[in-house]
Amino acid sequence: MSRSTLPVTEAELMAYVDGQLSPERRAAVEAAVADTPLLGAHAALWRQQNDAIATLYGPVANEPVPGRLVPHRMRRPAAPSWARLAAAALVLLALGGAFGWTGRDIVGEDEPAREVLIEAAVNAHRVYSAENRHAVEVAAAEQDHLVTWLSNRIARPIDAPDLTAFGLELVGGRLLPADVDLEAGPAAQLMYQTADGQRVTVYVTGSVPGEAGANETIMLGQDQAFYWANEAITCTVVGQLPPQTLEPVARAVFEQLTDGPYRGNQG
Amino acid sequence: MPEFLDEIEACVPALRRYARALTHNVDRADDLVQDCIERALRKHRLFRPRGPLRPWLFKILLNLFRNQHRHDKRHAPPLPLEGLIAEPAQPAPQPGRLALAEMARALQQLPDDQRAALLLIVLEGFSYSEAAELLGVPMGTLMSRLARARAALRVLTDTPGEPRLRSVK
Repeated sequence: MSRSTLPVTEAELMAYVDGQLSPERRAAVEAAVADTPLLGAHAALWRQQNDAIATLYGPVANEPVPGRLVPHRMRRPAAPSWARLAAAALVLLALGGAFGWTGRDIVGEDEPAREVLIEAAVNAHRVYSAENRHAVEVAAAEQDHLVTWLSNRIARPIDAPDLTAFGLELVGGRLLPADVDLEAGPAAQLMYQTADGQRVTVYVTGSVPGEAGANETIMLGQDQAFYWANEAITCTVVGQLPPQTLEPVARAVFEQLTDGPYRGNQG
Repeated sequence: MPEFLDEIEACVPALRRYARALTHNVDRADDLVQDCIERALRKHRLFRPRGPLRPWLFKILLNLFRNQHRHDKRHAPPLPLEGLIAEPAQPAPQPGRLALAEMARALQQLPDDQRAALLLIVLEGFSYSEAAELLGVPMGTLMSRLARARAALRVLTDTPGEPRLRSVK
């Protein structure tokens, strides 16, 4: 049976009415519709439905758009939490007059710092975990130097967490530039690798005001990200391992990085 | 960022049209669109869509719509159709006002899933595959929602004297 003599299905008839039929079938369906009153009646009825819907609501798109729906005028921060407002108010009170506007930086952010940090961590993960020869700046063979260097540059003593219990060996690390909008300073990225080459990165920055105690788990495309922050640092663990595998890794990173003398208020 | 705003802005009229048809309520529809834009602005850095913005925005809007509906499951009072139907600036040639009012009422009686699917196709001109992806359902599910929506609309708007149709084999 050739393409043109196949019986017309309901889905095809709908596709015909909705203008979504492949050109090769359109002619065949058109002929069948002309020949078969039942098909023709259906097609006509569905077309009427389409027309009625378009007549009812189509004109809405030509109505003037109210100001509250104009994106350019809507670019204001999402409503800040009461805690943040209160914190900002305290800052304003404390600084007073001449320095009063400093508080604006806290309230007036466009988005939470953690979203910026998680995005940066995931981007860095995507770029460098795909590299073979240049995955890291300083390899694990020079771990002491790596740790000292990164600690100095992010101005926080950090150790490379030991994740061998999860089959993750340290590959090395690199220094990354800071996000210009944040006061977190530059970031350290530590890279780990499983025996079969799956990579996990740990992205660490200095602390960000208001973030201590924050926690977030998020899936971005293929990448899973676990974020947390304390009084000293922010940390994002990124990888494509299944969440149930990566979550204990993230917890281990947290425990090891917060266990030092610089641990904040984390319990 | 400015291009991103422009891109969203270009989608706003269609989002309003879709939301209006989805809810048949001017204020609720615009509230939905506003929530949708706010969420898009907040999320664009983390969830920047790879492809075009339009399906992504419709997806956000539909998620908001579904969540809201889950919250206020009790249905709103009967629809005041008068005044909500866009007063045809150019009188509709084919379907009369009565038929239009009937269609508006029938649409609102459809299950949300069916109405959402049908309007994506008929009103917004998404392709079947785009709509299936946007709704997160397989193609077969989309097609059966469309077929059921059309069948239900026919029954709900059935006027005496119209030829009765059996289902197409």
